[in-house]
Amino acid sequence: MDTFDGYRRPDGRIGIRNIVAVVPLSVAVSAVATRIAREGPERAHATPHQLSADAPDATLEQTRRVLEGVATNPNVAGAVLVELGTERVDGEGIADAVAAAGRPVEILSVRECGGTAAAVETGVELVDDLAAETADARRESADVSELVLGVECGGSDATSGLAANPSVGNACDRLVDAGGTATFSETPEFIGAEHILAERCADSEVREKLLAYVDRREATAELMGADLRGAQPSPGNQEGGLTTIEEKSLGAISKGGTTPVQDIVPYGSDLPVGGGLVLMDTPGYDIESVTGKVAGGAQLVIFTTGRGSTTGNPIAPVIKVCGNPQTWDRMASNMDVNASTIVTGDDLEDVGERIYETVLETASGRPTAAEVRGLREFAINELQPNELGYFDGEGDGETVGSEEVSRS
Amino acid sequence: MSESQSERRSRSRGESENAREGETEAHTARETAADEGNRRGIRDNVLILPSVVCSHTVAEQIADAVEGCVATPHDNGCGQIGRDNDLTERTLIAMGAHPNVAGTVVVGLGCEHVQSDTVADALEDRGVPVRELSIQGVGGTEACIERGIEAAEELRAGESVETSDINLTDLTIGIVSTDLEDPTVETADPLVGEFADRVLAAGGRVVAAGTERVSAHPEDARERIDADLDELLAAARSGPARAPRVRRQVGERSFEAATRAWGDAPVDELLEYGESPRADTGLALVDSSSRFEEAATALVAAGAHLIVHVTGDGIPTGHPIAPVVKVSATERTLEAVGADIDVDARTASVDDLAEYVQSVANGTPCRAEVHGVTSFAIERAGPSM
Amino acid sequence: MTESETGAEAETAASADTDTETEATGTRRPSVELDESDTVVTVLEDAEAGDVVTDSELEVTEAVPFGHKVALTAHDPGDEVRKYGEVIGVATEPIEPGEWVHTHNCDSARGKAEGRR
Repeated sequence: MDTFDGYRRPDGRIGIRNIVAVVPLSVAVSAVATRIAREGPERAHATPHQLSADAPDATLEQTRRVLEGVATNPNVAGAVLVELGTERVDGEGIADAVAAAGRPVEILSVRECGGTAAAVETGVELVDDLAAETADARRESADVSELVLGVECGGSDATSGLAANPSVGNACDRLVDAGGTATFSETPEFIGAEHILAERCADSEVREKLLAYVDRREATAELMGADLRGAQPSPGNQEGGLTTIEEKSLGAISKGGTTPVQDIVPYGSDLPVGGGLVLMDTPGYDIESVTGKVAGGAQLVIFTTGRGSTTGNPIAPVIKVCGNPQTWDRMASNMDVNASTIVTGDDLEDVGERIYETVLETASGRPTAAEVRGLREFAINELQPNELGYFDGEGDGETVGSEEVSRS
Repeated sequence: MSESQSERRSRSRGESENAREGETEAHTARETAADEGNRRGIRDNVLILPSVVCSHTVAEQIADAVEGCVATPHDNGCGQIGRDNDLTERTLIAMGAHPNVAGTVVVGLGCEHVQSDTVADALEDRGVPVRELSIQGVGGTEACIERGIEAAEELRAGESVETSDINLTDLTIGIVSTDLEDPTVETADPLVGEFADRVLAAGGRVVAAGTERVSAHPEDARERIDADLDELLAAARSGPARAPRVRRQVGERSFEAATRAWGDAPVDELLEYGESPRADTGLALVDSSSRFEEAATALVAAGAHLIVHVTGDGIPTGHPIAPVVKVSATERTLEAVGADIDVDARTASVDDLAEYVQSVANGTPCRAEVHGVTSFAIERAGPSM
Repeated sequence: MTESETGAEAETAASADTDTETEATGTRRPSVELDESDTVVTVLEDAEAGDVVTDSELEVTEAVPFGHKVALTAHDPGDEVRKYGEVIGVATEPIEPGEWVHTHNCDSARGKAEGRR
């Protein structure tokens, strides 16, 4: 069996990095979290985001789910949750979840500390302590079936569908055959290819869910009164030869391989271990999409690109697979795997195997190009009020907020 | 085609000229920009402006490496359609064109929707000293950081702006109040409102945020606001409130009570998020919710040199471009995070507030600047695609 | 995508490396046709007007950049454009064989502001 070396957590999950996460509960303390991580040890990584503590219930629930997922990702050795102290997001609940996952956790309230300067000071002490407490974690051998691999594409061009995506798909097939989980998402990039995915769904229930998610994403264009073309394909996609969303999608879905679609889960929701190919409903917007899968428990992300996306993530290593030979020539330092050789006749199986090997090596600790460069982009998808009104029938302000919402 | 476009994107503006000429030209442009509308800056930072979330780390690394630079990392810039995309692009341009900004380095990834060269071109048109580069255009992260640092240093060398003897008449003051607890409505908002009136009387300009106040009281709002409110009200009906807590509190107050921080003047203009007022004086309302970080960006986009933020919760965040003066009358907050609050509205007079604002305008760092905590966010007008 | 096609095209890529005059017979540029029902091919090198991009000697009539598509067949406005054996959009202009197919003459059928087709 294929194995890798990871950190066994008390809840049984296996992490591939040993990160102390500094997680702000709202944008009001994102800067404080960033400062703490910056002044703390190297293993301390912040997840700053721009989501407010005053938001519709559904939005807050999604934010909470993502924050909890991020803080309990198997790569997290311990977490400091930073709050102002008046947030509606349930910090205690998230802390309980982290503790239940067997990871040490602290809540740092700026109000209880007496202000931002004191909070940064206390926060740095907390991350130092957590780093010390988790420093003796040792890697041990784990079966590849314990890997949950997120798959993303960004900065796509025509080579994505010809080279990078099919070869990553080949690596996903290998992982799924070995009993692991592979996950891809970006629902807008199913549009025009959903019939192919639907045929591959394990049962009719999954198929109906999948098609409903695609419908909702496509109807967003109606909601906004603007064609999807405004965002999909992006200017870089178009410059790279992708004309329509259908064309982009048909190339995009090959990155998940060829195995049956076992399920599709909501944004930031738990991904199963040993689950085969499982989809997640996310926007095509890369950074939010990657965050969703990491919140779902992906320890590792493969990210295909044609134009040259350089982004990473604070919690999970991101492996960049480049399918465009010109981009590889110019931006090799930001890339991990060259799949562009397929364009000139390299065998898909060979490149797929190379990517699979890179997955195992990265899981065992080899740093990715983004990790080496400290690239840790992070953003949480925010459910927008007009989206909630249009799709979920949530009314206007008159009917919202009847419950007690302030803790201050 | 693709080659020539990426070359165009990667070129650093002004690169063809020699450095000395470039500096002189930059300086002239800056004074011209400042003269228009008779507005001077009160801070003088070079802005490293990512056009998309994908380049924000690089932008921050550039800003960290050069003295006198700030970055505005944000989550936007791609996967947005229609007015949501327009709002982001308009706002980013307004950040770069702000009088507190000495010059702007626009940093893109290259394939995103809000293209760095579009933003840079718009800034150039407005006479802002600007450099532009994209990670894909220059061939990767390291090259982009290196070239970005060079560009920032060039812009840094070009500026020299006097920031003394700033009076209220020179200022656009942004005002946002982020809750409607009793101490805020009864004590802090009236103090800030009195200050707003004083700024207007001195010939300065005031911009206020907090759309919930309008949508909760449309009839009263129509009497005070000389603008068409239909679109704003329709948007408010299209879903739950963006800031439901504030919306609920506003509903429990009268329009007069909910708008005390704006002072007594009539509202002359209603601005879209990311838009600046046409008039040099008077009171304008920006269509932004009361969420602080998003409201602050809208106020800065509307030209606010400095923001006065009434906070019952003690939200500590500053803004990368404008100093934020925190005002609170909430006892528990003043006890808990007094170090983060600039003005205690329980004891301060309007003279005290005016004097403090004037000293911050003339260079005294506000609390958030002392603590180095700034967050930046741009409001979204629709879901990510 | 069928690998053999890529492989076969790649072999011709080698012979295309030497630049020849494009007067009478243009340079052979590698391309990939992903399915026999496709109405376009993707060129794997920048192609100039007059270059030949398929074994059946299809000549491109204008410059087509790397990764972009060339029409194999004539399309009337409203005709389906096919790649990967699937519909990727509809022609918005008449398209002759050898023409560049992109956003100027091909549009998505999906994600429209006024609703789905």
